[in-house]
Amino acid sequence: MSRPRLLKGVRVVDLSMGWAGPLAARHLVDMGADVIKVEGCVRFDWWRGWEATQEWIDDGGAEKNPAFNTVNRNKRAITLDLSSPVGSDLLKRLVAISDVVVENYSAGVLPKLGLSYDALKAVNPALVMISMPAFGIDGPWRGYRAYGSTVEQASGLPHLSGTADAPPTMVHVALGDSVGGLNGAAALLTALRHKRRTGQGQYMDLSQSQCLFPLGIEGILTQSAAGETPPRLGNRSLRFAPHGVYPCAGEDEWIVIQVRSERQWQALAELAEIEGFGDCADRLERVDELDRALAAFTAEQVAELLTATLQAAGIPAGHAASGLELGLDPHLAARGFWQLMERPYVGEIPHPAPPYRVGERPFDIDSPAPTLGQHNREVLGELLGLSDADIDDLERQGIIGDKPRLP
Amino acid sequence: MILGVDWAELQIALHVRVGDRDRSYDYPMTAPVTTQAALAGLKVLDVAGTIASGYCGKLFADHGAQVVNVEPPDGGFATRREPPFIAAAAAPEDSALHAYLNTNKASVALDVDAEPTGLQALAADASVVLDDGRFDAGTFAAAAPDVVVATITWFGRSGPYAAFQGTHGVCWALAGMIRNVGPAEGPPLVASGCAAEIVGGLTAFIGTLGQVLAREMGNASGPVRLDTSIFEANLCFSEPGGVGGYRSGRRGRRLGVNRFAPTYPLGVYACADGWLGVTALTPSQWKSFCTLLGMDEHADTPQYQTAIGRLYDYDVLEPIIKRQVRNRSAAQLVRRGQDMRIPLAPVPTMEELFTTDQYVARGAFAQVAAADAVFPAPATPFRLFATPALVGGQSPRLGEHQELVQ
Repeated sequence: MSRPRLLKGVRVVDLSMGWAGPLAARHLVDMGADVIKVEGCVRFDWWRGWEATQEWIDDGGAEKNPAFNTVNRNKRAITLDLSSPVGSDLLKRLVAISDVVVENYSAGVLPKLGLSYDALKAVNPALVMISMPAFGIDGPWRGYRAYGSTVEQASGLPHLSGTADAPPTMVHVALGDSVGGLNGAAALLTALRHKRRTGQGQYMDLSQSQCLFPLGIEGILTQSAAGETPPRLGNRSLRFAPHGVYPCAGEDEWIVIQVRSERQWQALAELAEIEGFGDCADRLERVDELDRALAAFTAEQVAELLTATLQAAGIPAGHAASGLELGLDPHLAARGFWQLMERPYVGEIPHPAPPYRVGERPFDIDSPAPTLGQHNREVLGELLGLSDADIDDLERQGIIGDKPRLP
Repeated sequence: MILGVDWAELQIALHVRVGDRDRSYDYPMTAPVTTQAALAGLKVLDVAGTIASGYCGKLFADHGAQVVNVEPPDGGFATRREPPFIAAAAAPEDSALHAYLNTNKASVALDVDAEPTGLQALAADASVVLDDGRFDAGTFAAAAPDVVVATITWFGRSGPYAAFQGTHGVCWALAGMIRNVGPAEGPPLVASGCAAEIVGGLTAFIGTLGQVLAREMGNASGPVRLDTSIFEANLCFSEPGGVGGYRSGRRGRRLGVNRFAPTYPLGVYACADGWLGVTALTPSQWKSFCTLLGMDEHADTPQYQTAIGRLYDYDVLEPIIKRQVRNRSAAQLVRRGQDMRIPLAPVPTMEELFTTDQYVARGAFAQVAAADAVFPAPATPFRLFATPALVGGQSPRLGEHQELVQ
């Protein structure tokens, strides 16, 4: 089996690093585009590691980061030293025979290398190109450095989580990255559709922090349309009760239970043998008492089993899974979500399926993340027509290679 | 003038009530420009009426597709009754959320079970039907031979969770998104909201547009049903953790509010004038951060040259960082820190968000009009310079475009 060929004929030059840009390109490669990831031996994708030492390099550290390996499957990878005229020229030759460039360098990096959109458009007038900086390509913050965490902070969303007595509460180590990546993929497909119809390419950008606004839409509209500052309620709701995270048997085991209707409440009250509470208004009024009664019940239960029991009775409930449990999740297993594949340096590792599928089976994945410069010969030789001798020469000059180097 | 659209001319002033004060903001609302739009010519029916399908359809509508909501005659889509509500609206329960999701769409009222032929007629030449699992792909195939039926459900249509009741909190719990959030002691935290559904709708848009494009490119043909699982879409956040857990065989431990391995410092700190967002990951960012805060004595400590090494010592470092920023200006720290290449940012409150200079400069918010009221809401976060998205717009009344039903 192999990945679908929905986007057969679309070639993408992926200059992006980290999480967001590579995830955008991953959606295209998973649907059959040819995505060629371009790194330098010195300026390799920083997500391989941001604390590089010679020892780390010698140990193959650059090939072992699960996060890097997760977002770069199915792609081909080459190295080019873009700061050299030869490397920069080879990139332009590759762009000339491609449809799309994805980049998320800090503002100004590509123009300095002579690889601005205008420069690339000169070699490919129908080019579709996206820049994915944290805050967009213009505005007073355009040059600001940021990670996915910075993006979450700047989006204001931390003011919607946690309790009123704690600082604004972040929900992830890098929330901005994946959402930026999804928006990048959405933008690329939209522009590719316009290109197919009109032959016209275009330049695009996105602001990763703006990409997070829709995730906090309830809070944003509470402010702008309802005219109220959204309260920080921890796990509670102003509308529903019970609505919380309750302890289960064992250490640090928890379950979310969020009742949304009287029918669900009656089913829960029966299962948990809770008596003496009335309608939703009454339960909201006595929510401390209610939460104690429910916690007394859940504390005796095994989290995963309780999820199944409550859900079988139609009650929205789910245990707080860890990364380890995601790998063992019976639903994901039944759906074939994790696809095991051998990857050099790390052995057999699971790869997440694309989140959309046709029929029962997920889309197949052809190949794990490429190693640094793995496809140098294939891409430079077959696509750009370089001879073996030319390629050997590039290796000797250090313009290409398959091992990271310290600056 | 940007690309032929005179944005300034289309700006209208808007009053927003914030607490007991009136604030005026200028945000744009553009008229539909469907001939230039990237997705012009595509027809999308929404027969699901969920937040996820609404957001998916919104991305189509923003770029010029004709999106028709097929709503139950008795009250329309359930999202019409979802808070937050528009304070200034005539009717007490006009949903701001529904309005935001449905700008530039059409609405017809149709009982699809009682009038299947009406649905067939509406589906003529549709490129996409947004569905929640009620319909077979074949329902629409006669009228729309290349239709993509985009089915968005909480957990997908197969597997042991297929019939589970979803909410944002349930989805994020199962997706490994809440375990690390909150105090080390006590329950993990998950606020109510609809982020999971938004991510599901966005993901469905990607997969669906891929299928549409494949048909236009000749890489695929015929009707297809594309199933998007909101749960699996939200694993985009936690899949590296899933792979990491598989390799290590270990579960992580919740470390406290705003504390996530392997990065430290990372968090939101109180300053004299607001909140400061901090991340210092690389050795050079750490050194610069120490200089900025006047804590140079920690800059070269060998253990602090890695993010994880600092994390082990957070009970030493955290009080120092808090003390060094609390009487200073967050705005100034951000500017100086960014000059030193440290990724710092302000953490605007919901009220401050609308006047944050970066977001004003980029037109991050646009006017949504519904129920005789207008209010600012997020504009499409990605920009196509040759084919700009519609910005803001009008949300239709139930059955406002009934003429579409023959």
